[in-house]
Amino acid sequence: MGNWTEQQKNPLTDRSLEVCDLIELEGVPISLELDDNTSFLERMFSDSSDFVLRKFQLKNSVHAIAIFVDGLISTNDVNDALKALMVLEDGSDQIGVIEEALLPVSQISRVKDYKGLLQAVLSGDTGIIVEGNREALTLGIRGADTRSVNEPEGEAVVRGPREGFIENIRTNTSMVRRKLKTPRLKMKSLVVGRKSNTNVVVAFLDGVANSELVDEVTHRISRIEIDAVLESGYIESLIQDNEYSPFPQVMYTERPDTVSAALLEGRVAIFVDGSPMVLLVPTTFWMMLQASEDYYERFQMATVVRWLRYLFLLISLVTPALYVAVTTYHQHMLPTSLLLSIAAAREAIPFPAIVEALIMEIAFEALREAGIRLPKTVGQAVSILGALVVGQAAVQAGIVSAPMVIVVSITGIASFTVPHFNAAISIRLLRFPLMFAASLLGIYGILVGLLIIVGHMASLRSFGIPYLSPVAPMSVGDLKDVLIRAPWADLKDRPSFLGVEQARRIGEEFLKKYQRAEEQSQNKEAKERERHDE
Amino acid sequence: MMNNRRNRKGLTRFCLIVSIVSILLSGCWDRREVNDIAIVIAMSVDKEEDGKYRLGVQIPLVGSMGSLSGGGGGTSGNKSYYVDSAVGKTLHEARAILQTRMSRILYFAHYRVVVIGSEVARSGFSKPFDIISRYPENRLTSYVVMTKGKAIDLLNAHPQLERFSGESIRELVKAVTIPVSIKDMAQMNITPGLDTFLPVFDPVNTQPKGDSKEIEGMGIAFFRGDKLIKTYKRSEAVGIRWFQNYFNPFSLVVELGDKGFISAMVLKGHAVVKPLIKHGRIHFDIHLYASVFMPETMAPLDFNDQSAFRKVERRLSEEITKKVDFLLKESRKHRVDPIGLGLVFAKRYPKLWEDKYKKRWNEELPHITFQIHSNVQVTNIGQTTNSLMKEGL
Repeated sequence: MGNWTEQQKNPLTDRSLEVCDLIELEGVPISLELDDNTSFLERMFSDSSDFVLRKFQLKNSVHAIAIFVDGLISTNDVNDALKALMVLEDGSDQIGVIEEALLPVSQISRVKDYKGLLQAVLSGDTGIIVEGNREALTLGIRGADTRSVNEPEGEAVVRGPREGFIENIRTNTSMVRRKLKTPRLKMKSLVVGRKSNTNVVVAFLDGVANSELVDEVTHRISRIEIDAVLESGYIESLIQDNEYSPFPQVMYTERPDTVSAALLEGRVAIFVDGSPMVLLVPTTFWMMLQASEDYYERFQMATVVRWLRYLFLLISLVTPALYVAVTTYHQHMLPTSLLLSIAAAREAIPFPAIVEALIMEIAFEALREAGIRLPKTVGQAVSILGALVVGQAAVQAGIVSAPMVIVVSITGIASFTVPHFNAAISIRLLRFPLMFAASLLGIYGILVGLLIIVGHMASLRSFGIPYLSPVAPMSVGDLKDVLIRAPWADLKDRPSFLGVEQARRIGEEFLKKYQRAEEQSQNKEAKERERHDE
Repeated sequence: MMNNRRNRKGLTRFCLIVSIVSILLSGCWDRREVNDIAIVIAMSVDKEEDGKYRLGVQIPLVGSMGSLSGGGGGTSGNKSYYVDSAVGKTLHEARAILQTRMSRILYFAHYRVVVIGSEVARSGFSKPFDIISRYPENRLTSYVVMTKGKAIDLLNAHPQLERFSGESIRELVKAVTIPVSIKDMAQMNITPGLDTFLPVFDPVNTQPKGDSKEIEGMGIAFFRGDKLIKTYKRSEAVGIRWFQNYFNPFSLVVELGDKGFISAMVLKGHAVVKPLIKHGRIHFDIHLYASVFMPETMAPLDFNDQSAFRKVERRLSEEITKKVDFLLKESRKHRVDPIGLGLVFAKRYPKLWEDKYKKRWNEELPHITFQIHSNVQVTNIGQTTNSLMKEGL
């Protein structure tokens, strides 16, 4: 690292500098001597079968090399570029002239040091070094194989766009750009990871998102020191406020429309190359309970569906705990006939309710996990086995009671109504401590547990925004997008708790200014016409 | 950062200690699984000849209720409950004795009816009912009924339709009589100017062969204070329904002249009682209102004719007046006030009540006078105006 000066040994000829990370090459200049460059690169990329170093001559017999990684480039286009240099033009050996006049490539840039050059080449560009130049060219002719844009599997909708992000960051940013065609949409580029050198893009709407927030996000990401970023989850884990909380404080999505909507609310999106999941900050708890479809469907439906989610969130959290508490402490709370039914079902069960609940809940979690990881064909077999063995055989064998199976099924279904998987998981996790509390202290224990959970949630912050806002702290105007989903005509303001710089979604101030300007110009025209008439 | 880490360490240590302690405590002293309790669904209180109380409990045998195997469902061969009882100087002692022969904890939070035997009723229900209001497991919303014989016989009856006789009594109380809960009973007992009444149920054999013991609502018992005064048959005591908050529908049969009988279903009814001081005596003006459905007439009536309605209404008014008149006369005769005339009077003349009558209302009862006006409306005569079978009538 650092600037290489004349006093220091030239790393290109210094044999001691073997392989290293890109960051150590910062400021290492490109040599005027092509042979130095060649030998350095060959040393650097020894045993790299995918690295290609192509020596060639320009038409005027000046030596040059092209370097690229096989598989990351589009071979035909690189051939065309090389043809332009080797065959068609008879031009100069000056890199500036080559860039501006000779190479018919739309994305081209000049780099001065090896860090920039190799960063570009390893990302899929083609590098060209010409004898006698201190700068190299990188040609953005990429052609790596990527997955095509598909329907997002994790966030399917009935109504709404059917495209989801893929692993290529450029495709991803383009999908958002296609939705927000405004120069206000900014995309700051960062590189994270010593070994992976992953491209990370921080996207936000300039003039809408709070600029301090944007700075904070950029700062937190650039502070990251890590080997490699293989998924946006790495970034999430390293920038969130409280790593030890069970609640996710950074939301992820694979839907471009969700990202656009969040940007329009004044949030910041973080794209990570190689991951189809885009992070959104700041995240509030209620975002986890909203699906993009809420905003596309009629608002009455969306409102009712939201209520349903809130209800089922609570159900998935407390039902097993409540069952344990009621059957071990509070039998008087049940209607008599229901108590008799439960008593009859539990008559032959050898375990106390809490053990029974744990057996079933753990079995359910195992089934769910097995179902996700296994290949689809086997997954079906697992679910049949699970339904038969756990559901029916266990009841008939008298190991668990039928009401417990019902409770666990309701809990399982309820937890799947939460649209975002990571929130559903944290809720599912929390019901275990609640079950223990219920078995020790009954309903009192459940209430204490819930209080602790709510207290913890209220203390959480995501990039300075309280996790439960706008409910706690209360901001009444924003509740119309939480308690209900107000019709679009009533959602004129962006969420105020985000500290946005432009509060109105529909810029009325701007409209007024525009109208005033138009009126003035019309007046002027009218006056001129009058004068002309005179 | 350092500080933060130290805090986290402290928190971890705290959590660890709490979880270890809670494992060691493993207390849960109130823990009581559903399979460890014997759910009492009905209870009986009798008084033995030696002055001790017999507490009877009815407990469902949840194991033989057959939801596991799926089949069966209360055939008479396989009883789904059993009844046991014990004698003690107090009810709690009896309970303790019962408990010594039960492998499960007696659980009293779910009984639906308390049956008291006639001996308890005669000697006063206050003493045995103390525990019922005191013991936290008990429910004040359970119903109380009286039986003419031994209370435990009612628990031992085996009605066919329900799985337990307790359940059967509860349903019957709600359907055919005026339901009285423990709370109602306590209120009637302690309110001056209002006396307690209880529905009476007896075990009877099915007719005519007598296969099983069913339970039948027999009438109403009047109490003065906590002691039984007299029991009345179903048809004698219907008048009291007009003076309750919720009017429980019942049917009435009257003879229309000598032309034949008609049945009337009294659907709604209420009474307005106006107390007056007339010639220095307490007088009650009682207005009765009723709306009636006619499910059956055996008398030749043509309901196309308005006068037929009026005839029926007049006849029913007479009958209802007679019922309430009987009730009030009995009330005067036995110095009991299940209607709550005293309460009505107290609301109208609070000063006079407080000074003169509150203490000796039951002594004053024989001297009251009353006038009954009744107003009956036939609101529904069913689907036909004339009987399809008119020729035969």
